[in-house]
Amino acid sequence: MLRLTLRNLAANKARFAMTTFAVVLGVGFVVASFVLSDGLRSTFGDLSEEITGETDLLVRPAADFGEPLPLDESLVAEINAVDGVANAVAFVEAPENGVQPIKADGTTITTQGPPQLMFSWTDDTALGSFTIVDGEAPDEPGEFTMDLDAAATHDFVVGESYDLVTPGGIEEDVTLVGTTSFGQDNATVGATLMHVSLEEAQRLFGADGSVDSIPIRLESGADAAVVTSAVAGIVDLGNTEIIDQATITAEQEAEFNEGINIVGNVLLGFAIVSLFVSIFIIYNTFAIVLGQRVREIGLLRAIGANAQQLRRSIILESAIVGVVASLIGIAAGVGIAQGLIALFDAIGAELPDSPTIVALRTVIFALVLGIGVTVVSAVAPARHAASISPIQALRDGGNLSEGETTRRLGVGIAGLVLGVALGAFGLFVGAGSTLGTIVVLGAASLSIFLGAALAAPAVARPVTRIVGWPISKVFGTAGGLAQENAARNPRRTATTGAALMIGLSLVTTGYVVGESIKARLGSLIDSSVSADYVITDPNEAGLTPVLADELAATGNFDAVAGMRYDDALLAGEVRELTAMDVSAIDDLFSIDVTAGSIPSADATDVILLHTDVAEDLAVGVGDTVPVEFASGFSTDLTVAAVYDDSTIFEDPVVPEQVFDAAGAAELDEWVAAVLADDVTLADAAPSIAQLEVRYPQVDIQTSTEFQESFEATIDSLLLVVNALLALAVIIALIGIANTLALSVHERTREIGLLRAVGMTRRQTRRMVRWEAALVSLFGAVLGVTIGVVFGWGVVSALPEDGFGGSLAIPVGDIAMVVVIATIATLLAAWFPARRAGKLNVLDAISH
Amino acid sequence: MTMLTATPPVPSLDAATAAAAVNVSKIYGKGDTEVRALDDISVSFGEGQFTAIMGPSGSGKSTLMHCLAGLDTVTSGSILIGDTDLSTLNEKALTLLRRDRVGFIFQAFNLVPTLSAMENITLPMDLAGRTPDQAWLDQVIETVGLQNRTDHRPNELSGGQQQRVAVSRALASRPEIIFADEPTGNLDSTTGAEILDFMRRAVRELGQTIVMVTHDPVAASYADRVVFLADGKIVDEVFEPTPDTVLDRMKALG
Repeated sequence: MLRLTLRNLAANKARFAMTTFAVVLGVGFVVASFVLSDGLRSTFGDLSEEITGETDLLVRPAADFGEPLPLDESLVAEINAVDGVANAVAFVEAPENGVQPIKADGTTITTQGPPQLMFSWTDDTALGSFTIVDGEAPDEPGEFTMDLDAAATHDFVVGESYDLVTPGGIEEDVTLVGTTSFGQDNATVGATLMHVSLEEAQRLFGADGSVDSIPIRLESGADAAVVTSAVAGIVDLGNTEIIDQATITAEQEAEFNEGINIVGNVLLGFAIVSLFVSIFIIYNTFAIVLGQRVREIGLLRAIGANAQQLRRSIILESAIVGVVASLIGIAAGVGIAQGLIALFDAIGAELPDSPTIVALRTVIFALVLGIGVTVVSAVAPARHAASISPIQALRDGGNLSEGETTRRLGVGIAGLVLGVALGAFGLFVGAGSTLGTIVVLGAASLSIFLGAALAAPAVARPVTRIVGWPISKVFGTAGGLAQENAARNPRRTATTGAALMIGLSLVTTGYVVGESIKARLGSLIDSSVSADYVITDPNEAGLTPVLADELAATGNFDAVAGMRYDDALLAGEVRELTAMDVSAIDDLFSIDVTAGSIPSADATDVILLHTDVAEDLAVGVGDTVPVEFASGFSTDLTVAAVYDDSTIFEDPVVPEQVFDAAGAAELDEWVAAVLADDVTLADAAPSIAQLEVRYPQVDIQTSTEFQESFEATIDSLLLVVNALLALAVIIALIGIANTLALSVHERTREIGLLRAVGMTRRQTRRMVRWEAALVSLFGAVLGVTIGVVFGWGVVSALPEDGFGGSLAIPVGDIAMVVVIATIATLLAAWFPARRAGKLNVLDAISH
Repeated sequence: MTMLTATPPVPSLDAATAAAAVNVSKIYGKGDTEVRALDDISVSFGEGQFTAIMGPSGSGKSTLMHCLAGLDTVTSGSILIGDTDLSTLNEKALTLLRRDRVGFIFQAFNLVPTLSAMENITLPMDLAGRTPDQAWLDQVIETVGLQNRTDHRPNELSGGQQQRVAVSRALASRPEIIFADEPTGNLDSTTGAEILDFMRRAVRELGQTIVMVTHDPVAASYADRVVFLADGKIVDEVFEPTPDTVLDRMKALG
């Protein structure tokens, strides 16, 4: 039997080649996602150790909630006086991309790639991990340094002066006095690392008299535990913590790994979707090839092979295909990982150079998945083929009946119902954790896809008839025959189409959810924002309050307000508070006050509550609510107004004076402004342009522009998702081409007859191509239907006062995807179509 | 063996010629493995005649028919359908010639399984994008007795009915000539006789030209003329054959 298995594989090499290719792609991407994330993890693991350097202890602010207050600079001297401390330094850092150097050509370094970071300089290289390579340290005001690789890459020259974009605006004429190396090899993984003196850092980052953390180097032989308890005696442990070297490194690594795991898991997720798609293709290949071997199977059964032997032989055949495909896939995966790195580079998200690590875990996982997927796909066809009675097989010859369709339909519908139930549970109830919910939703999708694939044969005939009608009208007999061919093996058409259905349904889901969110945002802006301008910082480094003041000073505006956010304990519960000029709230936003009134600008001890929050707290207008901040500051606030119908101010709103008094968040997250009645957008444009020059890092947008840029963000996210789903779609297209090739082979005699009675080669090719297109359109109809349902589910599950609640279906985008998929199918079918056209008529008739 | 030494048969020139082979040779392979399937054959087929081509296995009878029908090419010589020399036609022109001017009846697998009987009958015309002549179509279908069966798929028809559909298809576009390759080979003798009767009626009553390859003397006896092939050469012919005369000649050929 083994010899027979091998002979069969050899005889069907070409037919299995496509199947193998599908598995190779899927396994390749699984391997690539592991190789990529393992490489990055190794690179960033090394980096974490480098960053920690010889810092033995680190003193830093801490808070149970909200933004912790920075440390007082005077602590540094006190800690230096502690026995066993060799050196403790003040350390201040700018928010990520908060400081951006302006290149000689007037542009900034892109913020899409590795971050731009600026720190306060310390001469203690053990604590700072930096050494001066060229020039000198940045000791004086108006001086900065940059790491040597960034300086070389972006053409910054020591001795020249540059302007810096800082949170407080442009800092002009800062001299690059030196270049630095981070550790031995300046392993910055592409980041731009800059330093200024401590005083400059405090001034530029708005941290006068305070520090972000205090790294400590111990004297040799000093006991870290002893020093820790001594330092603990100096600092206020209510808002400060002391951590050791191992913790610092571990935290750093965990932070990096979080990002890496997201990238790795997203890639892995899409790779697994692709492998899932391969199942359909492998199943189809085995079902068709075994169908064509029925006579041979009958003969084997007649001469004494039992069903079990046959089944084993076929499954062994699939296992060999699986092993070969997985091994090729592992090799391909290493190449694909390199390709992905190049792709990330091309879209501007540069990844650091990383070692190529093919871990044993990766190899085992790939083999298990690849072989598993192939064998599982072959089980059903193997069982079916082995169960045929020998007499039936010998008599019926080439025609293996498709078996009981009713039972499959039943199982399919059950799968659909189970999937919908699981999906509803996952979306509306949730499984407790994000991972749990993802698993439940994954299982729901799996169940729906399998259910749809099993039930699909029941609708394959009517759907291909309807979709095929225009094709038979346009392309005459060839089109009509294409339509009949697509309808003749409903199960084959359904399985092949289902492979495409998966990719297209996910694409559609993305489009529906994206469009719905866009629509929701649009109506939200229309209904609740009266502001003409919105100012945001794409880097989320925060906006200096000066910006709002400068905007107001132009005199073009009726109201300008910056919004600050921080957590606080409100009546004993942690809530996010918004601080702003409350008197402007009604001018800027359409807020529906149900009780009380909007307080004036000088009210300092008031709070505005959303009706839901007021209900939660069981308070009304005039009642007081106690509030406590991370700094320890606490006060009682009087409820001045209760409002409704606002998605922007779900959280309580307080006057900015409350945050000022509490030392809570100092920077605005965004600023809104409404023009005075007699001022037009065009009138305001010049002053806005001036602001844009002074604050190049912020986005000053009209509300329409803001909406457009938000939509653009969603679009680019969808683009990435669709690019990743393209893999699943490509595998499905390979599947369609493969099935068509097998069908052409199976129908050789029929094609010969058609050619004999006068079908031209061109008509023959057209017949095969349009059959492929119909199979693809069938998959598209299923996919779009499921995708719309998925999208509807997700949109319904989104909070109504967030982005949920308004389902919008981008018909144009979805139609475009279907058209592209159909064109791609017509191209993919070129090969089987050509083969059909080239068949020798005489050979075909006597086949 | 007297037959073999007799003068080669001269093509009958009583009627206008529907198709002819002129000095046709067909050689497969090269050198030692060379096989001469057709060896300098000249034969013509008159319009409105029912001709049977007979011969033992390997005599070249099927090859001759395939070459005459434009399904295969000749190594040398020329094939004429009407005035058209097939050797001057490219693949596409040959396909269109088969579609528009030739009809086919094969031994088996004559019908496209996804099409109804009627769709199978009109297939060549549909491929050409031509509208069938409805009156003629009705007449053909009535002649072969398929009136109530035209909506059925091939798998819902008996072997004899399928073959009648095939005959109808061949007749429906009024081709200049119909080639039939063992049309009754897969049928029992009664059903086979029915089909042959239809074919003869098509010739007698509708004026159709038919060339049929067969190895069955009874089938051949339905023809107006029987041409005998052996070793790629035409060795004999009989006009107005009966099963017995055909059988006698066959025996003589060994």
